[in-house]
Amino acid sequence: MTRLLPILLLLVLPGAARASLPAPDADNGGLVLPPGFRALVVADKLKPLRNMTVAPNGDLYIKTRRDGIYALRDADGDGRADVVQEFGTGGGTGIALRDGWLYHSTDDHVFRYRLTPGELVPAGEPERIVRDLPNRRQHSAKVFAFGADGQLYIEVGSPSNALGEPDRAKGAVGQDPTDFLQTHGGFWRFDPAKPGQTQADGFHFSTGHRHSVTLALNPANGRLFMVMHGRDQLNTVAPQHYTAQDNAENPAEELHVLAEGMNLGWPTTYFDPRQGKRMLAPEYGGDGKKPAPAGRFPDPLIAFPAHWAPMQMAFHTGAQFPEKYRGGAFLAFHGSWNRAPEPQKGYRVVFIPFDAQGLPAGEFETFADNFAGRAEIASPNDAAHRPNGVAVGPDGSLYIADSKAGRVWRIIHTGN
Amino acid sequence: MPRLILISISLLLFAACSKQEPSSSEGGPPLAVTGSAPSVSGEKLFMDNCATCHMADGGGVPNLQPPIAGSAWISAPDPQLLLTLILRGSAVLGEAATAFDNDMAPLAHLTDAEIAALATYTRQRFASSPPPNEVTPAEVALARSRPGLP
Repeated sequence: MTRLLPILLLLVLPGAARASLPAPDADNGGLVLPPGFRALVVADKLKPLRNMTVAPNGDLYIKTRRDGIYALRDADGDGRADVVQEFGTGGGTGIALRDGWLYHSTDDHVFRYRLTPGELVPAGEPERIVRDLPNRRQHSAKVFAFGADGQLYIEVGSPSNALGEPDRAKGAVGQDPTDFLQTHGGFWRFDPAKPGQTQADGFHFSTGHRHSVTLALNPANGRLFMVMHGRDQLNTVAPQHYTAQDNAENPAEELHVLAEGMNLGWPTTYFDPRQGKRMLAPEYGGDGKKPAPAGRFPDPLIAFPAHWAPMQMAFHTGAQFPEKYRGGAFLAFHGSWNRAPEPQKGYRVVFIPFDAQGLPAGEFETFADNFAGRAEIASPNDAAHRPNGVAVGPDGSLYIADSKAGRVWRIIHTGN
Repeated sequence: MPRLILISISLLLFAACSKQEPSSSEGGPPLAVTGSAPSVSGEKLFMDNCATCHMADGGGVPNLQPPIAGSAWISAPDPQLLLTLILRGSAVLGEAATAFDNDMAPLAHLTDAEIAALATYTRQRFASSPPPNEVTPAEVALARSRPGLP
């Protein structure tokens, strides 16, 4: 009997865990999911939502694009948010919890609030940890994460397509990026507990990238992963070398592991997912055939399809989902605009398998789909929803936040 | 929200001001017609040069590129403000262009006839009340000769 007990427990516990799951919505909140997964709408018709995080007690904190933060609590355990409170000021993107503090970013600053145990909304004013970061509108989201070293890593994007003059114009001529990249297109490392830091106080950690709207720590190996948004408008800049279809399928959105001193090759190069090669950008003499100088810039770990617009990524922890999902990552794709006149694509959450060493292993696959609400759309305006935030709850449920119609979903594994 | 209000007011003001500008027939440099309008398809020019960012239906992309459909920019009978924007891109707006993330590139490489056809198509296709007049290459030449906003 003693030997049988562990086996019996193994047989019983998954069922017990499922019994505690909330009832899914009959239509899964409009989503299409793999067999065995179901979804429910936690909250709906909120303001446009950006990145999100989940507290150990299941409370959700979601940054809004235009103003403040949402705090959501499911008080009665039915999976739906009974308490929805807004607090704070300033639109932005980044949000994360650490050691009892809630960090969030506007496009200029990174703040933190002290949370009171048991209280959903923090009292008092936030501390401004990093202030007055560069903000020239384009690619201005200040995404951040905490490394395995406990330090705060913040991205300053490049307010440019490919540093052309004029940028995005036919015949644009690439400018020398040396000075520009001193303050843009990289990650900077800061002390997470020291208020009032400026960019000059940070350690310039990486360079040569356009913009990443996510930075996620993989607990399996303590490495930070980012996904760079590839450039736009190859055929606008150089129609003699690129057709509209070439542009629709180029360049890749790039998954990289963040490494000190790395240079991802923006603005002089881009990664062609069809050829599997890094290419010279047309602003810098490229013609769709000339490769980038060999060995200078890393290839992506995964080359995602062009223009899908990668947003937040979250590694899966918890035991609710089947074995294949454990240790992998979920990545939200906002959906394209720069594939026109080809149909727009993206508008989904994908699953990326990772191996025991914490590196991507195998093909990514679509996990949650039908955010757009129809099979084919010509414009982002036609999409019913656009996935932006993803976070994993303490029980392993996956939460997704929508930047279009303010919906929040919870995805659970029921086995049915 | 304040930025949105600011740009909305700015756009309306610019549109209102543009109505008080002299029409191209009243002055400006000699005509620099570089093509004839009937040979140029405004629709094709729109699809080739504008639809990528503003979308084929003129609806724009939220937060990134503004909608054209229904915009005050294309409703004014005098096209000078619209032509200046097409020729010089959003940089000509300065701080007023901060409601959307992306900058608009100048399309000055197009000929006067092409821009006239493009502007005419855009106004007729997307204006809430399309101005009755077609935009002429001479009006484009006038806008091209001016260093900044009308």
